[in-house]
Parts: sequence; C-alpha cells; structure tokens
Amino acid sequence: MRNKYINAEIMQQSMKLKQMGADVTVINSKLCYISFDLSGFKVSYVYNVNKKNRYFLERIKPYPLPLREFDSEDDVIEIIDIDLSQFKNAIKSHNIEEFINIARKLDSVFHKFEDLFLYYNLPEAEVKRLSDEILEFDRDIDRIKETSERICFDKEPEYLK
Amino acid sequence: MSDHLLIAVSIFTITYMLIMSEKIHRTVVALFGAVLMLVFSVEGQEEAVHHIDTNTIGLLIGMMIIVSILKRTGIFEYLAIRSAKIANGDPWKILMMLSIITAISSALLDNVTTILLIIPVTLVITEAMDINPLPFVITETIMSNVGGTATLIGDPPNIMIGSAVGLSFMDFVTNLAPIVVIIFIVNLIILKFIFKQSMHATESQKLSVMNMDESIAINDKNLLIKGGIVMAITVSGFMLHATLGYESATVALFGASLYMLISNLDPEDILLEIEWTTIFFFAALFILVGALEDVGVIEFLASKMVEFTKGDIGTSSVVILFGSSIASAFLDNIPFVATMIPLLQDFGIQTGQDITVLWWSLALGACLGGNGTLVGASANVIASGIVEKHGKKLSFMEYFKVGFPLMLVSVCIAYVYVVVRYL
Repeated sequence: MRNKYINAEIMQQSMKLKQMGADVTVINSKLCYISFDLSGFKVSYVYNVNKKNRYFLERIKPYPLPLREFDSEDDVIEIIDIDLSQFKNAIKSHNIEEFINIARKLDSVFHKFEDLFLYYNLPEAEVKRLSDEILEFDRDIDRIKETSERICFDKEPEYLK
Repeated sequence: MSDHLLIAVSIFTITYMLIMSEKIHRTVVALFGAVLMLVFSVEGQEEAVHHIDTNTIGLLIGMMIIVSILKRTGIFEYLAIRSAKIANGDPWKILMMLSIITAISSALLDNVTTILLIIPVTLVITEAMDINPLPFVITETIMSNVGGTATLIGDPPNIMIGSAVGLSFMDFVTNLAPIVVIIFIVNLIILKFIFKQSMHATESQKLSVMNMDESIAINDKNLLIKGGIVMAITVSGFMLHATLGYESATVALFGASLYMLISNLDPEDILLEIEWTTIFFFAALFILVGALEDVGVIEFLASKMVEFTKGDIGTSSVVILFGSSIASAFLDNIPFVATMIPLLQDFGIQTGQDITVLWWSLALGACLGGNGTLVGASANVIASGIVEKHGKKLSFMEYFKVGFPLMLVSVCIAYVYVVVRYL
C-alpha cells in the first residue's frame, strides 16, 4: 500500500515539475540510513544507492555536510570510515562541543546569507565588506592550522592544504 | 463434525475475521490461513496449488505489467490537462470529462490502478485552480467502481467470476456494459446536483489550468505509440478470446510480454511494480476457499441457500444482488466473491438450473456495492489515502453521505435491469 502512495505522490510531483519546465527522471533506488553512537555522541549519514551506479552520501549529524556523489559503494564506506575515525578523535578533544556549535552556526550563517542574497538587493559596499570578512575568517583558519597539532593522518585534508 | 471439517471452518472463519478487522495485512493473514490448511492436512500441497485459479492470477499480472509500462508514458497527465483545457477550465465540465476517462480506464484496467493514475493528476489540476479536490476525488472513485463493473477485466470480482464460470470478455460487455452506462449517467446527474456549490471558478482560476501545457506531459512518445498498439491488440484479444479459444490470462500475458519486448525497459523495474501482495492474497484465498470446498462446507451452504430461496432463480438473484452489494459496501469484496463462486456453482448443481443470471447479479452487487462506504473497495481506500497525503481529509461520513445513497440507487437500477432482462 505504501508503495502505491509513493508512486502516486511521485506522479503528482513529476507533473508539477514538468509544468515548471523540468525534465524529470525517476530511478528506483534504496536509501540507507546509517547511525553510530560514539559514547553518546551521535554521528549519522544517509546514502542513496541506485542502479545507475551513482552513490549519493550526506552526513546529517552532528551537523550536516553537503551531498557528495561517488562511483562505488566502497568509496562511500571508505569516506564514512574516515569521517567516523575523525569524529572518534575529535570527541576526545575538550573543544568538541564548541567545534560542533561553530559548525552549526556556520551552517546557519550560510543559510542566512543565502536568504539575504536571494531576497534582498544588497548595497555593493556591504557585499564587499562581507567578502572581506569571509576572507579574513579563511585566513584565520589557515593561521590556526599552522600553530595547532595534527591528530588525524588517515588521509590528507580535502580543503585545508 | 469430522476433525478436518472443524479445523477448516475454524481456520477460514478466523482468517476471514482477521482480514475484515484490518489489524494485520490481509495478504499475511490469508497466506498464514492457507498454509495452516496444509499444516493441519485439511488438503495436500498439490491439491492446494490446484485450487489456485491461474487464469485470474495470470490476468492480474498481465494487466499490471501493461499498466506499469503505460503509466511511464505520461498519458494520464496528458489526458487530464487536455480535458481541463477542452472544458475551458469549467470545473463541472472538467469533472464530467475526468469521470468519463475514469470509467473507461476502469473498464479496461483495474479500479485501483485507475485511481492511482487519475487522482494524482486531478489533484494537480485542482491545486492549480485552487478549488476543492474532494468532489472530484469522490466522483472519480465512484465512477471507477461503476466503470469497472462493465467488463471482465475491470474489477477483481469480475475476473474471478469470468475465470471460474468461463464467461468471456464479450459476455460481460454485452450483459453488463449497457446497464453500467445508464448507472454512470444517473450517478453523474445526481453528483452534479450534490456538488453544484463547489463547481465554480473565477476567470483567473480557469486561466491557471489553461496555461498548463499538455504536450510536455508525454514522457516518451515512442513508448506511448507502442502502448497504443499493445492495448489495441490486447483489447481485441479480449473481445475474441472465447472465439479463438484462449483464456483471458493468455491474452493479457501476451500483451504484457509483447510490451516488455518492444519497450526496451529494464524488466526488473517493470516486474518490481507488480502488486505482489495482491497476487499472493488471491492465491491464498483460492486455497482457503478450496479447502472449504474439499471438506463439504460450500456444498452444505449451497443446500441451505437452496432451502432458503426454494431454488427459485428470481428470489436468489435478488438476494445475491442486494446481499452482495451490502456485504461489499462494508467488507472486502474479493474474499466474499471468492467464497460465493463455489457456493453458486453448487447451487446450480443442486437445483439443476441455468444460473447465469446469478453471476450477473453477483458481479453487479459486488462491484457496485463497493461504492457504499469508504472501506467498500480498495480504490476508495487508496483515493482517501492519496488525498490525505495531499493535506485534505476525506472522512468516512463525508464519503458515506454521497456514496451510500448512490450505491443504493445504482443497485436498484441494476435490480430493475436484471428483472426486465433475465427474469
């Protein structure tokens, strides 16, 4: 019965999206929900497996990490493994709570910025100021990295060179 | 009572009650009951398999495959938008056109399938027009049950009756379609009166549907053309199956396999959409009822029916028509009809009369009865579920106030038809 309702809903959404100009392709897939409990610290992910051999992974806890696409299930498992071991290390740190809070704030700030950009016409000077502040924040991260002890060596950081 | 008789009746009664209670999924209950018949040696495994009507199962699977491919073409979205535009956005005209599409589709496809295809597109149109979808949903649900009554393949009770008794597609069309057309028209007139307050739209509401583009609704024109050819062959096959000496399932499975062959779609995707729970439910029911037949319960009930009606065909057809419509309004009509079929067959043997009229009475009662309440037919339950997911509520009483009187009117018309034509 649930499948019937899902199919009916997909049909409805496809019709609306097509009327909006979209090209809609519906692919049968499985959604896997994975959760770990690291001594009370919850880490969870979702990933989608489909017959086109594309794997979409997203971390949802402790803070969301944007969707990434992979070629194989092994890559997905490897990324989860590394991500998890990083959190295992991170929870030993006394800064973990503060780190999670900052990550969540960053996520929230990003969405506020998006709204600001999409809903308002911003003065050029303000845009420049925000850009400069982000650049400064970015430099701060690079600077702090140089003076902090590295604790994870499973792989090289993707963004922090 | 012998042990087997007692066990069979107990298993059947408990299974039936559990199915009706809807506390556990009906397929699980029916399968468990069927297997218990084997465990308690009421019947052997070979006998049990022999009771499964492969024609009904094959017909259902064949039509499910055809629909699974056909719905990918976007034909229902196209038809709904096109109808709304032909109607110039007039809600009543849209309702009338969608009702005709629903009834015809339901005569050629299963009711549940029709509802699953027509309600979502209706909701998109009513949402675009910002009008209440409930009059549309109620009308389409009623019309799907009415339309499904017209043919052998339109409603599961008809599939079971046709298969068990050997009535052909054309037998159903010539005997039931004429009265179904009349019932459709009468129902539509009454529904127009009931929903007249909801059938208004401003110019901007009409414009919103006129701005929709039906041409982009078709996903795959090639697949649609192939589907049209397959449907034409399949429907022609149904019309000629008795003459050609084929079972209806052979026709449906030929159409299904041909469409799979020429569609170039992944067969796994297609077969995944077969409603296996429904197929297993039917198979289990056939075993359960078969076990009752084997132990003599059906024969006993048939003799009681002969006693009650004094073997009079006229009285029996009235009892069956009204009895099955009331039963189907509140209970699942599939197990009901599955039980009635061998009972009527025994009735025919015991009275030694031609009981063809009883089959039409059963088909009319069981199919039209489904309109009586929200739980009367699977199509009604599905329609209400889709609407609920859309944020609207179709309550039991809201449906009952419209559905039950219409069901009584339909059955009374059917009664007059049966009396005038057959008795």
